[in-house]
Amino acid sequence: MAAYRKLEAKSTQLLEKIRENLELLNEKIDVMIEIQKHGNHEIPENLPEALDVMTLLSLPDHLRKTAVTLCKLEEATADEVSKQTKRARAVESGYLNQLVVMGYMKKERKGRKAYFFVDKEG
Amino acid sequence: MGKIIAVHSYKGGTGKTSLSVNLAATYARTGKKVCLMDLDFRAPSLHAIFKKQNLNYWLNDYLNGVCEINKVLVDVTNDHGNGGKLFVALANPSTEAIRDMTAKDRKWEMKALGRLLSLRSSLLNEMDLDYIICDTSPGLQYSSINAIVTADVVLVVTSLDASDINGSQRMTSELYDLFEKKTGILVNKVIAEYLSSEKEQKKFNKYIKNIHTLPVLATIPCFCEVLRAAGDFIFTEERPEHPFTDTIVDLAAKVEKF
Repeated sequence: MAAYRKLEAKSTQLLEKIRENLELLNEKIDVMIEIQKHGNHEIPENLPEALDVMTLLSLPDHLRKTAVTLCKLEEATADEVSKQTKRARAVESGYLNQLVVMGYMKKERKGRKAYFFVDKEG
Repeated sequence: MGKIIAVHSYKGGTGKTSLSVNLAATYARTGKKVCLMDLDFRAPSLHAIFKKQNLNYWLNDYLNGVCEINKVLVDVTNDHGNGGKLFVALANPSTEAIRDMTAKDRKWEMKALGRLLSLRSSLLNEMDLDYIICDTSPGLQYSSINAIVTADVVLVVTSLDASDINGSQRMTSELYDLFEKKTGILVNKVIAEYLSSEKEQKKFNKYIKNIHTLPVLATIPCFCEVLRAAGDFIFTEERPEHPFTDTIVDLAAKVEKF
């Protein structure tokens, strides 16, 4: 019985690791898709875009919802944003990464989690 | 949890400030804790109504990151509370301050949005206020849109002027709907003859419903007495028996449930 439990714990750990790696892979693919769509030249390097209300108005509806939610939360994971918007976590992760590529947000890894935030100091 | 209300309009002179002040006073009179904010930095008004000229800190300073919001709040409960609490956060009326606010860049406006959004935590959660009422600039101004994004409820004040109706319709589809805000229309300064009988009133209500896709929360007649008061005092406080006061009390109840 004990051996079975040990085996079960090990396989849960393994599955968790696979899930994490898949999520990382997903995020990287999202970024690559965005780069392909817009081309590298449009991605701001030194001058991050300001996420002011006029910019929020100009965003497509799906990205605006994500961006406004992050403005309210200040700093959040895709999971936290998805709880507010009531959309799937993977969907929010895609939108957040698009906003990062567009230069409106920044992303920082803290341990296993990726946090998104609006860089107000630039 | 309290509510943030933004009072907005397409055109100027629709009665935003008058309705904001009277709504805030009405809530305070019924025991609510309220903060009224002047977000019209181009043409500040509330300092004149509440007769406060020489303050150390203004709402401009809070948005500039110079001080925290508690330094800006002026407690006017003694003069206007009548059971609840009433604070005001005033815009600096000096020409220099107005010039400074009109020259802000996008980055500053982005930070100002963050400062406004954090009022939910400092005023509604920590100070336990029931309402923050934001009186805004007309049209598509940064400070007004910042207030709309921050608000839970947007009240759009409109007259029956054709350009005002047209502008309000456009803002509904191009501003309020885009931010998915609960928005209600207040039709102000309605000529008395449109509301003279039940039949006329029904006809008028039908006309208004055809114009606005948003719910109409109040139809406020144009009262000469309100105009005569000239913003020198808070009308609903001085004239509790007046039909204008009844309309504002009714509006306050509707907004509470909205």
